[in-house]
Amino acid sequence: MSESFRNSIGRKIVSRTSARELGAVSHLLVDDQQRQVASIVIGRGKKAQFIDWAQVTGFGPDAVMVTDESSLRSPADDRERAASEGKLELVGKRTLSELGNELGQVDDVTFDADSGALEHLVIGDRRLPAGSLLGSGSYAAVLERDQEP
Amino acid sequence: MKLLMTASQIRGLPVVTIRGGEDVAEVRDVIYSPEAGRLVGLTLNQRGFLSGRRREVLPADMIHAIGQHALMVTDETQLVTPEAAPDDIAHPARERNVLGDDVLTEGGTSLGQVVDLVLLVGGNGEVVGYQIERAGGGHGYIPLPAQLAVSGDALVVPEITAEFVQDDLVGLGAAVDEFRDRLGLT
Repeated sequence: MSESFRNSIGRKIVSRTSARELGAVSHLLVDDQQRQVASIVIGRGKKAQFIDWAQVTGFGPDAVMVTDESSLRSPADDRERAASEGKLELVGKRTLSELGNELGQVDDVTFDADSGALEHLVIGDRRLPAGSLLGSGSYAAVLERDQEP
Repeated sequence: MKLLMTASQIRGLPVVTIRGGEDVAEVRDVIYSPEAGRLVGLTLNQRGFLSGRRREVLPADMIHAIGQHALMVTDETQLVTPEAAPDDIAHPARERNVLGDDVLTEGGTSLGQVVDLVLLVGGNGEVVGYQIERAGGGHGYIPLPAQLAVSGDALVVPEITAEFVQDDLVGLGAAVDEFRDRLGLT
Protein backbone atom coordinates (compact mmCIF):
# COMPACT_ATOMS: atom_id res chain seq x y z
CA MET A 1 0.00 0.00 0.00
CA SER A 2 1.17 3.48 -0.77
CA GLU A 3 1.88 5.87 2.08
CA SER A 4 2.87 9.51 2.21
CA PHE A 5 5.56 11.31 4.22
CA ARG A 6 3.20 14.15 4.98
CA ASN A 7 0.41 11.88 6.22
CA SER A 8 2.85 9.91 8.40
CA ILE A 9 3.84 12.91 10.49
CA GLY A 10 2.54 12.57 14.06
CA ARG A 11 1.57 8.91 13.67
CA LYS A 12 2.09 7.02 16.93
CA ILE A 13 4.79 4.38 17.20
CA VAL A 14 3.91 1.30 19.23
CA SER A 15 6.02 -1.61 20.47
CA ARG A 16 4.58 -4.87 19.21
CA THR A 17 6.02 -6.72 22.20
CA SER A 18 4.82 -4.49 25.05
CA ALA A 19 2.00 -2.59 23.28
CA ARG A 20 3.49 0.58 24.75
CA GLU A 21 3.53 3.81 22.79
CA LEU A 22 7.14 4.88 22.14
CA GLY A 23 6.55 8.23 20.51
CA ALA A 24 5.33 9.77 17.28
CA VAL A 25 6.81 10.16 13.80
CA SER A 26 8.59 13.52 13.39
CA HIS A 27 9.76 12.75 9.89
CA LEU A 28 11.27 10.01 7.78
CA LEU A 29 14.95 9.90 6.84
CA VAL A 30 15.72 8.51 3.39
CA ASP A 31 18.64 6.56 2.00
CA ASP A 32 19.04 8.68 -1.14
CA GLN A 33 21.19 6.13 -2.97
CA GLN A 34 18.83 3.18 -2.32
CA ARG A 35 15.77 5.46 -2.69
CA GLN A 36 14.32 3.92 0.40
CA VAL A 37 13.09 4.99 3.85
CA ALA A 38 16.16 4.48 6.06
CA SER A 39 14.69 5.29 9.45
CA ILE A 40 11.96 7.03 11.39
CA VAL A 41 13.02 10.16 13.26
CA ILE A 42 11.26 10.76 16.58
CA GLY A 43 11.62 14.14 18.26
CA ARG A 44 14.00 16.87 17.28
CA GLY A 45 17.37 18.28 18.28
CA LYS A 46 19.32 16.66 21.12
CA LYS A 47 16.40 14.45 22.13
CA ALA A 48 15.91 13.01 18.64
CA GLN A 49 15.83 9.22 18.37
CA PHE A 50 15.85 6.87 15.42
CA ILE A 51 14.17 3.60 14.51
CA ASP A 52 15.67 1.71 11.57
CA TRP A 53 13.23 0.70 8.88
CA ALA A 54 14.23 -2.95 9.50
CA GLN A 55 12.66 -2.68 12.98
CA VAL A 56 9.29 -1.65 11.55
CA THR A 57 6.97 -4.65 11.58
CA GLY A 58 3.94 -2.82 10.25
CA PHE A 59 3.53 0.72 8.89
CA GLY A 60 -0.22 0.95 9.37
CA PRO A 61 -2.76 3.73 8.82
CA ASP A 62 -3.21 4.33 12.57
CA ALA A 63 0.10 3.27 14.09
CA VAL A 64 3.61 2.26 13.20
CA MET A 65 4.36 -1.08 14.84
CA VAL A 66 7.98 -1.76 15.78
CA THR A 67 9.75 -4.77 17.30
CA ASP A 68 10.24 -3.47 20.86
CA GLU A 69 11.64 -0.64 23.02
CA SER A 70 15.21 -1.52 22.03
CA SER A 71 14.37 -0.42 18.49
CA LEU A 72 14.88 3.16 19.67
CA ARG A 73 18.43 4.43 19.31
CA SER A 74 20.44 7.67 19.26
CA PRO A 75 21.85 9.20 16.07
CA ALA A 76 24.83 7.12 14.90
CA ASP A 77 26.65 9.37 12.42
CA ASP A 78 26.90 12.89 10.98
CA ARG A 79 24.08 12.29 8.56
CA GLU A 80 21.76 11.24 11.38
CA ARG A 81 22.88 14.16 13.55
CA ALA A 82 22.00 16.48 10.65
CA ALA A 83 18.66 14.67 10.37
CA SER A 84 18.05 15.30 14.10
CA GLU A 85 18.16 19.03 13.31
CA GLY A 86 15.64 18.52 10.53
CA LYS A 87 18.24 19.47 7.88
CA LEU A 88 17.66 16.41 5.72
CA GLU A 89 13.89 16.40 5.76
CA LEU A 90 12.82 15.75 2.18
CA VAL A 91 9.39 17.40 2.49
CA GLY A 92 9.91 21.13 1.99
CA LYS A 93 13.29 20.61 0.31
CA ARG A 94 14.39 22.55 -2.75
CA THR A 95 14.94 20.35 -5.82
CA LEU A 96 17.51 20.83 -8.56
CA SER A 97 17.95 18.96 -11.80
CA GLU A 98 21.45 17.64 -12.35
CA LEU A 99 21.73 20.50 -14.87
CA GLY A 100 21.49 23.05 -12.08
CA ASN A 101 17.95 24.32 -12.62
CA GLU A 102 15.40 24.47 -9.82
CA LEU A 103 12.34 22.22 -10.21
CA GLY A 104 10.35 23.41 -7.19
CA GLN A 105 9.92 22.40 -3.59
CA VAL A 106 9.09 18.85 -2.47
CA ASP A 107 5.49 18.94 -1.20
CA ASP A 108 5.28 15.25 -0.37
CA VAL A 109 6.94 11.88 -0.94
CA THR A 110 5.06 8.63 -1.43
CA PHE A 111 6.48 5.23 -0.52
CA ASP A 112 5.50 1.59 -0.30
CA ALA A 113 4.40 0.90 3.28
CA ASP A 114 5.61 -2.72 3.10
CA SER A 115 9.08 -2.28 1.63
CA GLY A 116 9.82 1.37 2.44
CA ALA A 117 10.77 1.92 -1.21
CA LEU A 118 10.22 5.52 -2.33
CA GLU A 119 7.67 5.85 -5.11
CA HIS A 120 7.18 9.49 -6.10
CA LEU A 121 8.28 12.97 -5.21
CA VAL A 122 5.31 15.32 -5.36
CA ILE A 123 6.34 18.77 -6.57
CA GLY A 124 3.36 21.07 -7.15
CA ASP A 125 1.03 19.22 -9.50
CA ARG A 126 3.82 16.95 -10.77
CA ARG A 127 4.65 13.47 -9.48
CA LEU A 128 8.23 12.61 -10.32
CA PRO A 129 9.43 9.00 -10.09
CA ALA A 130 11.68 8.43 -7.06
CA GLY A 131 14.01 6.48 -9.37
CA SER A 132 15.15 9.83 -10.76
CA LEU A 133 16.54 10.91 -7.36
CA LEU A 134 20.33 11.15 -7.59
CA GLY A 135 21.10 12.52 -4.16
CA SER A 136 19.62 14.45 -1.29
CA GLY A 137 21.25 16.60 1.37
CA SER A 138 20.78 19.71 3.44
CA TYR A 139 20.75 22.05 0.44
CA ALA A 140 18.72 20.21 -2.17
CA ALA A 141 17.40 16.99 -3.60
CA VAL A 142 18.98 16.43 -7.02
CA LEU A 143 17.00 14.76 -9.80
CA GLU A 144 17.90 13.42 -13.23
CA ARG A 145 17.94 15.87 -16.11
CA ASP A 146 14.90 14.38 -17.88
CA GLN A 147 12.70 15.55 -14.99
CA GLU A 148 13.01 19.15 -16.20
CA PRO A 149 9.60 20.26 -17.48
CA MET B 1 17.78 24.00 -24.57
CA LYS B 2 20.60 26.40 -25.25
CA LEU B 3 21.21 28.63 -22.26
CA LEU B 4 23.43 31.67 -22.29
CA MET B 5 24.71 33.18 -19.06
CA THR B 6 27.07 36.01 -18.33
CA ALA B 7 30.06 35.45 -16.05
CA SER B 8 28.48 37.78 -13.50
CA GLN B 9 25.38 35.57 -13.42
CA ILE B 10 27.62 32.56 -12.74
CA ARG B 11 29.51 34.30 -9.94
CA GLY B 12 27.79 33.59 -6.64
CA LEU B 13 26.04 30.41 -7.83
CA PRO B 14 26.12 27.65 -5.22
CA VAL B 15 28.28 24.64 -6.11
CA VAL B 16 26.06 21.64 -5.31
CA THR B 17 27.02 17.95 -5.19
CA ILE B 18 24.73 15.66 -7.17
CA ARG B 19 25.28 12.63 -4.94
CA GLY B 20 25.15 14.57 -1.68
CA GLY B 21 22.73 17.43 -2.30
CA GLU B 22 25.09 19.70 -0.35
CA ASP B 23 26.18 23.23 -1.25
CA VAL B 24 29.92 22.82 -0.80
CA ALA B 25 31.08 26.18 -2.18
CA GLU B 26 30.04 29.08 -4.33
CA VAL B 27 31.52 30.53 -7.48
CA ARG B 28 33.96 33.33 -6.81
CA ASP B 29 35.19 33.98 -10.32
CA VAL B 30 35.29 32.59 -13.82
CA ILE B 31 38.67 31.79 -15.37
CA TYR B 32 38.69 31.46 -19.10
CA SER B 33 40.99 31.35 -22.07
CA PRO B 34 40.29 34.15 -24.57
CA GLU B 35 42.33 32.39 -27.26
CA ALA B 36 40.48 29.10 -26.98
CA GLY B 37 37.23 30.87 -26.23
CA ARG B 38 36.35 28.51 -23.44
CA LEU B 39 35.99 28.28 -19.71
CA VAL B 40 39.10 26.94 -17.97
CA GLY B 41 37.79 26.71 -14.43
CA LEU B 42 36.42 28.53 -11.44
CA THR B 43 37.74 29.94 -8.23
CA LEU B 44 35.55 29.41 -5.19
CA ASN B 45 34.28 30.97 -2.02
CA GLN B 46 33.01 29.18 1.03
CA ARG B 47 29.27 29.10 1.46
CA GLY B 48 27.41 31.15 3.95
CA PHE B 49 27.40 34.46 5.67
CA LEU B 50 30.84 36.04 6.30
CA SER B 51 32.41 33.32 4.21
CA GLY B 52 35.91 33.64 2.86
CA ARG B 53 37.74 32.30 -0.09
CA ARG B 54 38.05 28.56 -0.58
CA ARG B 55 41.51 27.45 -1.46
CA GLU B 56 40.40 24.76 -3.90
CA VAL B 57 39.53 25.49 -7.51
CA LEU B 58 37.21 23.73 -9.89
CA PRO B 59 38.67 22.81 -13.30
CA ALA B 60 36.13 23.12 -16.14
CA ASP B 61 36.41 19.39 -16.91
CA MET B 62 35.07 18.63 -13.43
CA ILE B 63 31.88 20.65 -13.88
CA HIS B 64 28.86 18.44 -14.44
CA ALA B 65 26.60 21.33 -15.45
CA ILE B 66 26.04 25.04 -14.99
CA GLY B 67 22.39 25.92 -14.57
CA GLN B 68 20.34 28.97 -13.75
CA HIS B 69 20.30 28.21 -10.02
CA ALA B 70 23.34 26.08 -9.28
CA LEU B 71 26.61 24.73 -10.58
CA MET B 72 26.58 20.95 -10.29
CA VAL B 73 29.50 18.65 -9.49
CA THR B 74 29.38 14.90 -8.89
CA ASP B 75 30.91 15.17 -5.43
CA GLU B 76 33.31 17.29 -3.41
CA THR B 77 36.40 15.45 -4.71
CA GLN B 78 35.98 17.41 -7.95
CA LEU B 79 37.30 20.46 -6.10
CA VAL B 80 41.09 20.34 -6.29
CA THR B 81 43.94 22.20 -4.65
CA PRO B 82 45.72 24.76 -6.85
CA GLU B 83 48.79 22.48 -6.84
CA ALA B 84 46.78 19.69 -8.41
CA ALA B 85 45.05 21.95 -10.93
CA PRO B 86 46.24 22.77 -14.45
CA ASP B 87 48.59 25.75 -14.44
CA ASP B 88 46.23 28.12 -16.26
CA ILE B 89 43.72 27.79 -13.40
CA ALA B 90 46.19 27.97 -10.54
CA HIS B 91 47.94 31.00 -12.01
CA PRO B 92 45.61 32.77 -14.43
CA ALA B 93 47.63 35.23 -16.47
CA ARG B 94 46.69 38.82 -15.82
CA GLU B 95 47.04 39.83 -19.48
CA ARG B 96 44.38 37.25 -20.31
CA ASN B 97 41.76 39.40 -18.65
CA VAL B 98 39.73 40.92 -21.46
CA LEU B 99 37.43 42.99 -19.29
CA GLY B 100 37.86 46.62 -20.29
CA ASP B 101 39.44 45.67 -23.62
CA ASP B 102 38.49 47.66 -26.68
CA VAL B 103 36.61 45.58 -29.26
CA LEU B 104 38.00 46.51 -32.67
CA THR B 105 36.82 45.24 -36.02
CA GLU B 106 39.39 44.22 -38.62
CA GLY B 107 38.57 47.48 -40.38
CA GLY B 108 39.51 49.47 -37.27
CA THR B 109 36.07 50.44 -35.91
CA SER B 110 35.58 50.26 -32.15
CA LEU B 111 32.35 48.53 -31.15
CA GLY B 112 32.82 49.29 -27.47
CA GLN B 113 34.53 47.86 -24.40
CA VAL B 114 34.17 44.39 -22.94
CA VAL B 115 32.23 44.41 -19.66
CA ASP B 116 31.33 40.73 -19.32
CA LEU B 117 31.65 37.29 -20.90
CA VAL B 118 28.73 35.31 -22.26
CA LEU B 119 28.99 31.54 -21.85
CA LEU B 120 27.01 28.76 -23.41
CA VAL B 121 26.28 26.61 -20.40
CA GLY B 122 25.31 22.96 -20.33
CA GLY B 123 28.23 21.98 -22.53
CA ASN B 124 31.93 22.54 -21.95
CA GLY B 125 31.46 26.19 -21.04
CA GLU B 126 32.18 27.71 -24.42
CA VAL B 127 32.45 31.50 -24.41
CA VAL B 128 30.24 32.56 -27.30
CA GLY B 129 30.09 36.30 -26.85
CA TYR B 130 30.87 39.40 -24.90
CA GLN B 131 28.71 41.95 -23.26
CA ILE B 132 30.03 45.35 -24.29
CA GLU B 133 29.60 48.91 -23.22
CA ARG B 134 28.86 50.47 -26.58
CA ALA B 135 30.93 53.35 -27.86
CA GLY B 136 27.73 55.39 -28.10
CA GLY B 137 26.60 54.39 -24.59
CA GLY B 138 24.40 51.52 -23.42
CA HIS B 139 25.07 47.81 -23.29
CA GLY B 140 25.08 45.35 -26.14
CA TYR B 141 26.10 41.78 -26.84
CA ILE B 142 28.39 40.58 -29.62
CA PRO B 143 28.88 37.00 -30.83
CA LEU B 144 32.40 35.64 -31.11
CA PRO B 145 33.99 33.41 -33.68
CA ALA B 146 35.54 30.24 -32.27
CA GLN B 147 38.92 31.96 -31.99
CA LEU B 148 40.25 35.46 -32.22
CA ALA B 149 43.27 37.69 -31.66
CA VAL B 150 43.39 39.12 -28.18
CA SER B 151 45.80 41.05 -26.00
CA GLY B 152 45.46 42.93 -22.74
CA ASP B 153 44.52 46.04 -24.70
CA ALA B 154 42.13 45.01 -27.41
CA LEU B 155 40.54 42.16 -29.22
CA VAL B 156 40.05 42.05 -32.94
CA VAL B 157 36.80 40.72 -34.36
CA PRO B 158 35.64 40.15 -37.94
CA GLU B 159 34.13 43.14 -39.73
CA ILE B 160 30.63 41.62 -39.90
CA THR B 161 30.44 41.54 -36.07
CA ALA B 162 29.12 45.12 -36.27
CA GLU B 163 25.96 43.77 -37.93
CA PHE B 164 25.38 41.30 -35.13
CA VAL B 165 25.41 43.54 -32.06
CA GLN B 166 22.39 42.48 -29.98
CA ASP B 167 20.44 44.24 -27.27
CA ASP B 168 19.92 41.20 -25.05
CA LEU B 169 21.04 37.62 -24.36
CA VAL B 170 18.02 36.13 -26.13
CA GLY B 171 18.98 37.96 -29.29
CA LEU B 172 22.55 36.83 -28.92
CA GLY B 173 21.49 33.18 -28.63
CA ALA B 174 19.89 33.40 -32.05
CA ALA B 175 22.71 35.47 -33.53
CA VAL B 176 25.63 33.19 -32.61
CA ASP B 177 24.79 30.42 -35.08
CA GLU B 178 23.96 32.78 -37.92
CA PHE B 179 27.13 34.76 -37.25
CA ARG B 180 29.27 31.64 -37.41
CA ASP B 181 27.47 30.46 -40.54
CA ARG B 182 28.23 33.76 -42.21
CA LEU B 183 31.88 33.56 -41.21
CA GLY B 184 32.04 30.08 -42.70
CA LEU B 185 30.72 31.39 -45.99
CA THR B 186 32.89 34.46 -46.27
